[in-house]
Amino acid sequence: MSDVKTEHKPESFTNREYEAGFITDIETDTLPPGLDEDVIRHISAKKNEPEWLLNWRLEAFRHWQTMTEPHWPNVTYPPIDYQSVSYYSAPKSQADGPKSLDEVDPKLLETYAKLGIPLREQEFLAGVAVDAVFDSVSVATTFKGKLKDAGVIFCPISEAVQEYPELVQQYLGTVVPTGDNFYAALNSAVFTDGSFVYIPKGVRCPMELSTYFRINALNTGQFERTLIIADKGSYVSYLEGCTAPQRDENQLHAAVVELVILDDAQIKYSTVQNWYPGDENGIGGIYNFVTKRADCRGQRARVSWTQVETGSAITWKYPSCVLRGDDSVGEFYSVALTKMHQQADTGTKMIHIGKNTSSTIVSKGISAGFGQQSYRGLVRIAKSAEGARNHTQCDSLLIGDKCGAHTFPYVEVKNPTATMEHEASTSKIGEDQLFYCQSRGISEEDAVNMIVNGFCKDVFNELPMEFAVEANRLMEVSLEGAVG
Amino acid sequence: MSVSLQTVRDQAWLAFEARGLPTTRDEDWKYTDLSRISALLGEQWWQAAAATEIDAAAFAIPNLDAYHMIFVNGRFDAEASDLPAGITVSSLAGLIQDEPDKTIELMAYHADAALSSGLTAANSALASDGACICIAANTRLDKPLHILHVNDGGTSHLRSSIEVGQHAELEIIEHFAGNHDASGLTNSVTAIRLAAGGRCTHYRLQLEAVKQCHNGRVEVKQSRDSAYVLHAVELGALLSRTDVISKLDEQGASCELNGLFVASNRQHVDHHTRIEHNAPHCVSREHYRSVLDGRAHGVFNGKIIVGKGAVKTDSAQSNANLLLSDKAEIDTKPELEIYNDDVKCAHGVTIGQLDKNQLFYLKSRGISEEEAKQMLTFAFADEILAKMGSQPVRRFIERAAFAKLPIITDLEGMLV
Repeated sequence: MSDVKTEHKPESFTNREYEAGFITDIETDTLPPGLDEDVIRHISAKKNEPEWLLNWRLEAFRHWQTMTEPHWPNVTYPPIDYQSVSYYSAPKSQADGPKSLDEVDPKLLETYAKLGIPLREQEFLAGVAVDAVFDSVSVATTFKGKLKDAGVIFCPISEAVQEYPELVQQYLGTVVPTGDNFYAALNSAVFTDGSFVYIPKGVRCPMELSTYFRINALNTGQFERTLIIADKGSYVSYLEGCTAPQRDENQLHAAVVELVILDDAQIKYSTVQNWYPGDENGIGGIYNFVTKRADCRGQRARVSWTQVETGSAITWKYPSCVLRGDDSVGEFYSVALTKMHQQADTGTKMIHIGKNTSSTIVSKGISAGFGQQSYRGLVRIAKSAEGARNHTQCDSLLIGDKCGAHTFPYVEVKNPTATMEHEASTSKIGEDQLFYCQSRGISEEDAVNMIVNGFCKDVFNELPMEFAVEANRLMEVSLEGAVG
Repeated sequence: MSVSLQTVRDQAWLAFEARGLPTTRDEDWKYTDLSRISALLGEQWWQAAAATEIDAAAFAIPNLDAYHMIFVNGRFDAEASDLPAGITVSSLAGLIQDEPDKTIELMAYHADAALSSGLTAANSALASDGACICIAANTRLDKPLHILHVNDGGTSHLRSSIEVGQHAELEIIEHFAGNHDASGLTNSVTAIRLAAGGRCTHYRLQLEAVKQCHNGRVEVKQSRDSAYVLHAVELGALLSRTDVISKLDEQGASCELNGLFVASNRQHVDHHTRIEHNAPHCVSREHYRSVLDGRAHGVFNGKIIVGKGAVKTDSAQSNANLLLSDKAEIDTKPELEIYNDDVKCAHGVTIGQLDKNQLFYLKSRGISEEEAKQMLTFAFADEILAKMGSQPVRRFIERAAFAKLPIITDLEGMLV
């Protein structure tokens, strides 16, 4: 056995630096920190919003003021001062809005290139239309023409407010109401941008849609809002990727994602989240407090959430499925990695209301270093959900003796015809598996990678091709030297 | 000791007054609404019932060869009891009179404030009686000890303590029973301590009368290589909640919790268990099942915590639930909290109806659908009872449990 290859120690793993941690030096148009009704009016005016939206925001803000910050998640962090956050930050050079990629600040394009998603190349190679959100304002949307031919609307939500106000007004806030929870209310009040997708009846979106989020400016919160509507019989696959630069302060990210799925439609929503996780002492990093919910309003509607969570100092999100329509299907596939001082409290909610609804939950948690990870899930089968079915599997892999993995699955069943199974296991990487691989001449690190990859395979298989490759690479890089 | 028993009681009462009854806004009481207790019993629900006489013989377990310790409406009945020699058995009321110092430690315990509720504090303040058992090192009681608590309604606060010495062995049957139409509350706390190598098998049979409320708490502290086995059966009471807390504090300790609920009508049954692995090489097993009929509501919350130093922990938990009616409801939450990587933990939950394939198999062998359903329901529940070592207790529970389910028509035919 080569002695050079087995030198990896746990420390080298925790010392791994954040690859996407560079700061792009461009002028930004940022509001001073603080939040009051004037700030909201300012944001709304800046975006030239109609009256109803401003009122909607103000109503959300007033409701938010009456709410208290929730503390039930299994995570710890110092109190957040919501008045020290700046609620609007747009790259200045974008004030007029670009018409095409050529008008985009080359520095921004460079940023994306560093992240490994050169827009042009992607446009070219992957056939993916990218709606990149850079500190809250969408800077570039590609492939618009091709989508337009198919009748698909894919644009920043601020643009949708101007151009398709009736669609936005009809669906905005119907899945996640403004008063749903503390962070959703905050988001409703101050959201600056996000994506809007509408797939008309019977249309299969000709390509995968993708958005890239990146928090750049200091002291800013990112509050994007995504709304996707799949009309009857349509299909769309939507990808989202996230990164943030390295900073000592904690930055807040409180997004809301709403999916509406009508009869026979399907949405596949994939996330690769790689926000800055903080340094090895747990300083800095993103607080990722996100509300994601899909509403299967139609019969036979389908939704699937796939997420790979490797970043953020604290991740707190539960992509949920409300299975209202009969025979609708909800799926949740998740891989979450916590290392160094990262904390994650994540999982899903499956609310079965319609008859013969079914849901699948596959959650894989990997915890290393001082990472603390919780799976928190709810499966609720209402009295009306005749013949509902759920299968839940959540497995945790522990690497090192200072990390933790926790499981809090809530199961509430009110219908006797429902069938539900839940299984969970927690273990460390098998020594015999490692030994077997090593005895075949595979280095310890490669063996760990192989085992972790096998552990996550069920979830990675659900990712679209390009993301699966990226996710695999992300895991490999993150686990460098993670042999405990 | 400087504090008097009265001080301890007063403190507990203040804690109770400060905390009151838990509400459904408390995470641990999310599914169990205790406001029903005060609605049923009035604001003074905690006030103990008057002494009456009940013929305890009517509640005996057939064919059980055991020692008996009988409590009637929360008061020890010496005449009806048959206490073993060779071990120390006394009633709490007797102990308060004879050796007040010894009871202070027992009463001062109203558990981790974080883990206990106002009901435990009320118990500390008001407990009138209970079984205090101490078995010396290297002793083994030849027969089980049957601790029977009967009531005819009204409220009683019971506080029991069981101390098992080094390498001693004890089998106890804690049995709550009643046969009346009145409402009341049985509020019982049982603290069990096992010294190194001690073994305790604990049957906890809750067969309260139909309108009684029951709140139970069992806290077990285990030393090195000790073994604790619990068979918890919940059949009676309108509203029942039991907390089982097992602390595996030293190496090699093991615990096994087996539970069965059979509930019908408007019964509400809630079991919260918490197993703390605080030391290396401990083993825990937990198997809970429920059969719910009518408008019954079952709640199960199984928490397993593996601490930082508890390496080589081996823990498994399973929970299976069978809903027989469309009005029944089950809420279950098997939790794992693990702070260490060298462990083997697994848990599983299933909820559903009888397996269609199994039904089909039996029907294809010429067995009628009703009979097949009956067999499968029986088998589902009996799998837990089959773990009981004591045949008389098992038979007794089988008869009591399956009498509640109309689906079981030929019970005697199935008892083998």
